Amino acid sequence: MKTIPFLRPRLTGARFEGKAIPLEFLKDLSALEEMIVEMAKFFFIKDHPDRKRLPRGFTEGIELRLSGLDEGSTIPIISLVVTSATLFPPEGQAYLERARDEVIRAISTTERHQGITGLPGKALGYFNRIGRSLRDGEAMEFPTPDGQGVARLTKETRRRLLLTSTDIRELTEEVTIRGTVPEVDQADMTFEIGLPDGRKVKAPLEPQYLDTILDAFNGYRTAARILLRGVGRFNRAERLLGLDSVEHVSLLDPLDVPARLEEIALLKDGWLDGKGQSPPREGLHWLGQAFTSYYPDDLPLPYIYPTPEGGLQLEWTLGVHEVSLEINLFSHSAYWHGLSLDTGEEISQSLHLEEPSGWSWIVTEVQRLLGGVA
Amino acid sequence: MNDDTLLLRQVHPTWIQSGRVTSQVFKPTPKDQQCLSVYNGDQITPADSWRHFTENLGCQSVGVLSVSVAECRQLNLNARPDPGPFPEHAVIDFGQHRGAQLEAKAKQLRALAVQRGWQYQV
Repeated sequence: MKTIPFLRPRLTGARFEGKAIPLEFLKDLSALEEMIVEMAKFFFIKDHPDRKRLPRGFTEGIELRLSGLDEGSTIPIISLVVTSATLFPPEGQAYLERARDEVIRAISTTERHQGITGLPGKALGYFNRIGRSLRDGEAMEFPTPDGQGVARLTKETRRRLLLTSTDIRELTEEVTIRGTVPEVDQADMTFEIGLPDGRKVKAPLEPQYLDTILDAFNGYRTAARILLRGVGRFNRAERLLGLDSVEHVSLLDPLDVPARLEEIALLKDGWLDGKGQSPPREGLHWLGQAFTSYYPDDLPLPYIYPTPEGGLQLEWTLGVHEVSLEINLFSHSAYWHGLSLDTGEEISQSLHLEEPSGWSWIVTEVQRLLGGVA
Repeated sequence: MNDDTLLLRQVHPTWIQSGRVTSQVFKPTPKDQQCLSVYNGDQITPADSWRHFTENLGCQSVGVLSVSVAECRQLNLNARPDPGPFPEHAVIDFGQHRGAQLEAKAKQLRALAVQRGWQYQV
């Protein structure tokens, strides 16, 4: 067995900060191997138009392996390993290295908006899998072939690479979807997900998720929703067409905050019978993050409603207490009002929800109104 | 209109979540000049008020809740006919109640209406 150093992409972003690689990312590296091998074959045939077949052993008995992690950082060490008993033609290694360099060059030129040279359009389809698990703020950084720079594959670069090829009609992305289950076809083992905008898309029904999907289906009329993670298929205009695979499904709380915010995000100006300002998307995003960060899981979730002024009103019914929290999504200020329907006792408080102390006040007050039960 | 007259209030679909309506249903918006539009239940049934609201006025409603004139008076809110827009139109006037007082009135009206139950629901 012969081991040859081949590639050392540096992984950056939040998930890679612990000097560890999420297992799901190995799929991306596997797809990268597949692409490089196929490109090596492509370049060989291109250089030898007179030949109909590849030399024996050109790809068999060789593979790219993850042979380690660079000490002190998140750099997977990928080696070219020759396992075949047959002699490995020296030119095979050269073509693999050329393929590697062309793939990196394609990433680099796309990142710098300089177009792509060297790769056939169809080959770019491999980027449907390479880099698919990258999230916002994450990147795979490859040293460029000239040793002078770095080519960064990000979600955005990957998307541009795919759109460069007119052969590619559909793109795949890892998605997280919240929706209803209006239809289940147990014969075809598929189900439909009702999206917040009213559209429905089809997904494969994996046996391990059957019970959860049926629960959501049976609860459709009471707006039962699921959280689904999987691989979505999009057209070039970024419209979700369906799910290629499903990797996680769970039933959501009926008052799930992100799901409700997604619904509210669809409101247009004039939503309240001609009146009613649509809430700002940035504000909804901010609230979703802040709520997740500061509101404990064990407290009752609020009901959430839009206000005519483009804000939100969160409401809780806590025993005899009726509580509202009106939030200005532009200034991130809020107004708390609690009323005891028994005694008429009221509590009003202006809050700044940019500050953790504002959320802390809310949490304390909800706990107090619950009688310290939570 | 007398103490027993029910004042019918339409509920916008966005103002109901998992079957619970917001207290905003009973709170006048700044543009309403402190007056909450309702239907006079002595002159129109809840179902007909829904039809009028959705078909004649072209507005959205998932159903009709109500409070009585007496309940409004107990909360120091003046309810009166206001046939200007259409004959069955009435208003609950919040007068000088603003801020926390307005919030409290809206919550109390909502609680009374929910306790009475849906007068009509789609």
